[in-house]
Amino acid sequence: MALLEIKNLHVSVGGKKILNGISLALNAGEVHAIMGPNGTGKSTLSNVIAGRDGYEVTEGQVLLDGRDVLAMAADERARAGVFLAFQYPVEIPGVTTSAFLKTAINAKRRAEGKPEIDAMEFLKLVKAKQKILGMPDDMIKRALNVGFSGGEKKRAEVLQMTLLEPRVAILDETDSGLDIDALKIVSEGVNTLRSPERAFLIITHYQRLLNYIVPDHVHVLVGGKVVASGGKELAEQLEAEGYARYLSAA
Amino acid sequence: MKQSALLVHPFGARYAAALPAADSARREARETLALEGLPGPKREEWRFTPLRGLAKIPFIPAASAEDIDVRDIPADVPRFAGAVRVVLVNGVYRADLSDKVSEAGLAIMEAKTPDHDVHAPLAVLNAAYMSGGVTIAARGVVAKPVHIVSIGAAGAEPAAFHPRFAVAVAPAAKLTVLETHHGLPGQPYFSNPVTTISVGTAGVLRRYVLVREDSEAFHLATTVADVAADAKFDAFHLGLGGALVRQEINVDFVGEGAAVRLNGAYALTGRAHHDFTTFMNHDMPNCTSSQVFKGVVDGESRGVYQGRLLVARHAQKTDGQQLHKALFLSRGPQIDCKPELEIYADDVKCAHGATTGEMDPDHLFYLAARGIDPQAARLLLVQGFLADALENVDDAAVHDILSAEISGWLMRKASA
Repeated sequence: MALLEIKNLHVSVGGKKILNGISLALNAGEVHAIMGPNGTGKSTLSNVIAGRDGYEVTEGQVLLDGRDVLAMAADERARAGVFLAFQYPVEIPGVTTSAFLKTAINAKRRAEGKPEIDAMEFLKLVKAKQKILGMPDDMIKRALNVGFSGGEKKRAEVLQMTLLEPRVAILDETDSGLDIDALKIVSEGVNTLRSPERAFLIITHYQRLLNYIVPDHVHVLVGGKVVASGGKELAEQLEAEGYARYLSAA
Repeated sequence: MKQSALLVHPFGARYAAALPAADSARREARETLALEGLPGPKREEWRFTPLRGLAKIPFIPAASAEDIDVRDIPADVPRFAGAVRVVLVNGVYRADLSDKVSEAGLAIMEAKTPDHDVHAPLAVLNAAYMSGGVTIAARGVVAKPVHIVSIGAAGAEPAAFHPRFAVAVAPAAKLTVLETHHGLPGQPYFSNPVTTISVGTAGVLRRYVLVREDSEAFHLATTVADVAADAKFDAFHLGLGGALVRQEINVDFVGEGAAVRLNGAYALTGRAHHDFTTFMNHDMPNCTSSQVFKGVVDGESRGVYQGRLLVARHAQKTDGQQLHKALFLSRGPQIDCKPELEIYADDVKCAHGATTGEMDPDHLFYLAARGIDPQAARLLLVQGFLADALENVDDAAVHDILSAEISGWLMRKASA
């Protein structure tokens, strides 16, 4: 059984059909990339899996370890192991990154029947992970994402992913707004999380990110449908030729 | 007409009869009170804060109640480490509960008479029946802050008290004052403090006020401040408890180059009512004033912010800013926000802003996407909203005290 299975997923937003029957199976240990032009439903797919309001699933299923993801509230999905790295992480004034991280870690631990994390242990853990991602120690004292640069926000997303150890991580345009150095650091962070127990769904417009996070499978999404699938060479081909061929076919 | 209205309001002849004969200042105030009564809803500044409920309660002067016996400071009064603590019970200074003052440059005296004429209607009531208070004078840089603790308590009957506080900061002197207002449960009490502040040339006063009265209590506070040339007056007010609370703050700029910050926050549940009313009287050029007030409202509570800013024709280069932000936790509460900018000078920078709204769904989704359940997410966001208001509290120890007070409020709310 696949770790994450998307079966014939149809989604509308405000009566307008965005996804027209997507089927994908992500096995544990695999990295899948979804590429496609703007406005083709890439972000809709990630939002629907994570459980954002405002999307109407008209047909199809999303299963995590065979469990019906669409029947769960967004927070339940996250505790079950779905992680969405946001394209635009929100800024929340007054809520320190540290208080937020601790609350999120403890929510997961409680769901797993574990005791809350000890304050010292928490600090040690966060410091160690921040170091890997090239983040200053005091960043967790700052309000969540407030005044963070684009690169800092994306690093913070990867830090959260590292701390929450999801089963399935969805990266929504994580490369947008990143310079090449930040891109490398973020990619390394993701690569260290690759494991036989975990799957990744990487949503991107450009092939650039896939030079650093090398996918096992690449899918092309056009008009709310997967129009082509292949190995990593498909990404290179798209980079060279663009989406024109698929657009005319769709 | 007004005379007959006065007979039913609680501070008439019956109230006065319980007190010793008045001196001339008090007599004069009682005559004014008899003529004008308590402010009604037709008075513009009191439109959003009706006193009908207060006027129905047959208060007696707390000083005349013989069954009130407060021997200790309640355990939940915050400790301000390193501060000189000054304790008042029902508006009367209590030497037995207060610290001795031995700080260079700092003088704290018991106040016996209403020295300053303050024209606000509740200040007239205060002058008529002033029950006590303290006068604080600072010379030079006073290292130790002062913590004023006010405890209200009624006996078998509802009780009222009217203390006076005077804070005088000499030229170039520096002082920090924390004022916390608490009460004991029981019959309702009414605290009606008046504070007169003067900050001398190039002086600095930081004033922090916490109002966490008993949930049945009334607290109507009037503050008037004179701020001299190049002086700084930096104030933060937190309203976390009381049935009806008003914090009215009037600032007069009496010298050039002065800077005033009036900030505050309030959090209301049930049927609590909280009113911040401010008046910035820019009567001098080159002064700045900035105000940020934030409120969280739930239940059927009501929050009021009225900010009046007057810039005289000669007060050029005035910078006056005000902002009010309210967060609704349910559909029941009401917010009244009234900025009033009256500007007669032509070279000024003045602005006001106001926002009210519910919790941002994008924020809630972000927290949900990290596994945080809706209840915990809302708690985190409310705490964040209020914590953000505390960013304006420069004193680290006071910041911690107020932050703990906010956590306490959230815990009480969660368990209610």
